[in-house]
Amino acid sequence: MIFIALRQLWARKRQTVLTLLGVMLGAAAYIIISGILLGFRDYLLDQMVNNDAHVRISAKARLIEANSFDHVFAGKKEALFWIVPPSGRRDNERIDNVQEWLGRLREDKDVEAFAPQLNVTVIYRKGKVARNGRILGVVPELQARVALFEKYILHGTLRELAENGQKILMGEGLRENLGIRYGDSVTVVNSKGDQQQFKISGSFQTGNRAIDDNLAYVALTTAQNISGNPGQISDIAVRLRDVRQSLPKAQLWSNDDSAKVQSWEQINSSILDVFQVQDMTRYMLTAIILIVAGFGIYNILSIVINQKKREIAILRSVGYESRDVLVIFMTQGMLLGVAGGLLGVVAGYLISLQLSTITFSSPMIKSKSTGMMISFTYIIYVFGFLMALISTTIASFLPAVKAGKLSPIDIIRGQE
Amino acid sequence: MSLRLEKVVKAFGNPPVEIIKGISFELKDGEFVSLTGKSGSGKSTLLYMMSTLDNPTSGRVFLQDQDITAMGSRELHRFRNRHMGFIFQYHYLLPEFTALENVLIPAIKAGNVAEKRPYAIELLESFDLKDRMHSVPGKLSGGESQRVAIARALIMNPQYIFADEPTGSLDSANAQNVMSIFQKINREHGCTIVYVTHDTEFAALAQKQIFLVDGQVSKMEKKSKTARRSPKTPGERENLPG
Repeated sequence: MIFIALRQLWARKRQTVLTLLGVMLGAAAYIIISGILLGFRDYLLDQMVNNDAHVRISAKARLIEANSFDHVFAGKKEALFWIVPPSGRRDNERIDNVQEWLGRLREDKDVEAFAPQLNVTVIYRKGKVARNGRILGVVPELQARVALFEKYILHGTLRELAENGQKILMGEGLRENLGIRYGDSVTVVNSKGDQQQFKISGSFQTGNRAIDDNLAYVALTTAQNISGNPGQISDIAVRLRDVRQSLPKAQLWSNDDSAKVQSWEQINSSILDVFQVQDMTRYMLTAIILIVAGFGIYNILSIVINQKKREIAILRSVGYESRDVLVIFMTQGMLLGVAGGLLGVVAGYLISLQLSTITFSSPMIKSKSTGMMISFTYIIYVFGFLMALISTTIASFLPAVKAGKLSPIDIIRGQE
Repeated sequence: MSLRLEKVVKAFGNPPVEIIKGISFELKDGEFVSLTGKSGSGKSTLLYMMSTLDNPTSGRVFLQDQDITAMGSRELHRFRNRHMGFIFQYHYLLPEFTALENVLIPAIKAGNVAEKRPYAIELLESFDLKDRMHSVPGKLSGGESQRVAIARALIMNPQYIFADEPTGSLDSANAQNVMSIFQKINREHGCTIVYVTHDTEFAALAQKQIFLVDGQVSKMEKKSKTARRSPKTPGERENLPG
């Protein structure tokens, strides 16, 4: 049967090639679109997972409410009625029981590294230019183990901050806005108005303007000096051995009410939602492409079967069963699916490879230009091939069944 | 071993109109039989029922004492593949295949192509098609195509050959050639040949002539083998009406 199917395909080369191209383009389009979208997703996930913490333990904002002082000013059985109920929030943003948290993290076998941080809101001043922003106090050796930050550094190093001296590693946008050069000094003013002088030891650029135009890194102790609270820590960035444990770990640690614990998924939940929309778009686009390719096969096979009724009649009369005729036409459709799918996989791979060499150098970002992020995960290719095969199988099944049902005698009598 | 029809009826349409009206007869193995009659007399319909391609509305058809109306589909297809050959007015060759491959089409189904290949070549050679063996049907003349179709019918060494107006689309020389081949096959292979024809001269070549009128056998003539004549020249023949 395969011999007959192959010969019939070969006899109508033009139709075969066109159909093959349709299936190939469908599979290749799926592979390229998926490669681009998944590549972009991998890039974003990499940023989320590796540029920040897997789990972030931060100070909980504790609001003061009407019942917050119920048992402070009165006994347990007495009720308080306020003329003006108390409101506001307690103290600075800080984790109260830092040592307890650090001890706990040190003993946890799932934790690969952790880094205490202090976030301080400040004003930067250089001459008459002033900018508000943030300072993040870090312990450089610990910070480097938690997040892959060093690749964003344009000048200087993170470790320099640990050395003596008032050194600051500044976001590139912030440095340009203040108009300062490396080695120049900048004045940092805290919320109480205390001023300190810092020397610009380097700069970084992440590509995220919200960070690059506002943030600067200093040593943790320096940041504690700026805030005026020695020993204060606002965040603990945690890196786990297995990133997939982030959410369960964060949920487990959330039982401790003393701090807010969030995994990277929770912090970036809005972006993760976008991925689902992306997935749906990707599948719909591909379904449309493959339905079009499938219709091509359906149409061509239907026409071919119509043209070949007399030959079907003779096959049936010399002993070919209805199943044999079905196999002949199904084989033709499926061969187109397999060949088109394989060609699509190869074409998709080659085009993806070519696309990945295209580099983007954004004028907004000074750091090295990056290539187009394309995913080459094998699942995309398996899926692309399977979708081509399944769509062509379904598309050829219907006309093949019809061909199998043709009665030889009706064809000969000319009733079909 | 025979081909036997018992009260075979075939009706078409609604309300049903009987085209074949209770025909019964028996053909012995190795007989050379012609079916003649006017257009619409039911000769092709009767041939298709005898050859298992069509089912009777009622009545039974026995081949080698097996009731083919009660046979399962797979068994019937196998029987047709191994024991029957068909020749139609049009050759119905598969256009993508060479003459030789077309002859081997039944053997592809039976799974014995390699075994049958020398015989296919022998058949084509005996039909003066040695040089046309690797030509596709598009390159063959009508007569050549019909001879390829006859070779295809013979490839499995069938016990029965059914032919529906095999000379209908051929010129007189080719038609005469085809009938000579039929006679030779019947003589040498001993297979039963049943053919439908309008041509009185060709009908007269048969050992047994069955005349159909309005779905019934009006006359059945049998003659001894010695009485059978060779076909005359085209000018000497006359066609039956219709």
